[in-house]
Amino acid sequence: MDIINNFGLDPFLLGTQVVNFLVILFVLKKFLYKPILELLKKRENTIKEGLAQAEAASIRLEKVIEDEKRILRGAQEQAKKIIESAKNEALEVSRQIREDSKKQTEKMISDAQDQIARESHETERRLSVYVSKIATSLLEKALSEFFSEKEQKEVLTKALKIVKKTN
Amino acid sequence: MVSFAPELIFKIGQFPITNTLLNTLFVDATLIGGAFYISRNLQLVPKGKLQNITESVIETFYTLLVSVAENRAIKIFPYFMSFFLFILFANWSGLIPGIGTIGFWEHDKLIPFFRGTTSDLNTTLGLSLVSVVATHIMSINTIGIKDYLSRYFSLNPINLFVGILEIISEITKIISLSFRLFGNIFAGEVVLITVSSIFAFLVPLPFLLLEIIVGLVQALVFSMLTMVFMAILTIPHHAEKR
Repeated sequence: MDIINNFGLDPFLLGTQVVNFLVILFVLKKFLYKPILELLKKRENTIKEGLAQAEAASIRLEKVIEDEKRILRGAQEQAKKIIESAKNEALEVSRQIREDSKKQTEKMISDAQDQIARESHETERRLSVYVSKIATSLLEKALSEFFSEKEQKEVLTKALKIVKKTN
Repeated sequence: MVSFAPELIFKIGQFPITNTLLNTLFVDATLIGGAFYISRNLQLVPKGKLQNITESVIETFYTLLVSVAENRAIKIFPYFMSFFLFILFANWSGLIPGIGTIGFWEHDKLIPFFRGTTSDLNTTLGLSLVSVVATHIMSINTIGIKDYLSRYFSLNPINLFVGILEIISEITKIISLSFRLFGNIFAGEVVLITVSSIFAFLVPLPFLLLEIIVGLVQALVFSMLTMVFMAILTIPHHAEKR
């Protein structure tokens, strides 16, 4: 008993300390460990999800890059084909235009030559008529001094016939 | 000379209020206040150092416990952590400079208002009782009463003798846990008071530093032993034999 008294053991103090620790245990469990362990778990899950998402995004990105390259290659090939076809078409069109213009030029030249021939023929005809008129007038004047009117008409008629024949 | 027994400050009816009890209330206020403050300011992405420190301490202890007790860790953890925190704060609260000098004079002797609560056998014995009783209750809940009793009682005389030794060892656990903690902290207090009364300045500092380490080590020893006892007693007896 002396030892117990020396150490100051007291049932009330002992019980108080036991109850006190149980209260501390309850409070810390409810308000410290539980929220922190839940938070750590939540953070762990968030990090795991984030890593999984990053992994998936990386795979998707690689796939998208692959698709992009494939599409780009296809587009380049298609563009090449389109350019080639456009080039051929342009050459065909230009050849066609050249041919058409050549034909048109030749036609225009031919038409112009025809017109020139027609006009020169007309001019010649007109000139002939005019020259005949002048010749008739000169002949009338020259004959009026040597022949009668009747003779004049006969000569004139003969002369005109000759002229017409020569024409 | 420092007495083993805590000093009486006042009485409420028949109940004595000692300086170690006042110190216990101070430790309680610190722990409960801290717990509320931390839990109210918890954030998924921690911004303050306090949350970081608390998280790292709790995570380290929990990981250590999981490596020892595996799936029983979640049951053992509150005891393990609470013993550590309470004993650590109680040990260190007695080292706050000046805490032992504020008090009143009685028969030419200074009675301090506060004295490290773990330098009181009532506290350490109370903690040991909680530790051992909680260990046995947890053991019964986890492995069942039949398996629990088979650890101590058997028809085989050798096993019966071992069981009796086990019962004795359970009683000695209470004594060893309480007296180890009490002895270390009380001795530390005596050393500090003695050195401080001889040398006022500088010389007590290494001893103070030593007592800080002793306080940490004793908190770890008590909580680790409780953890190990709980981990052992929650394994089925037949599984333990294998």
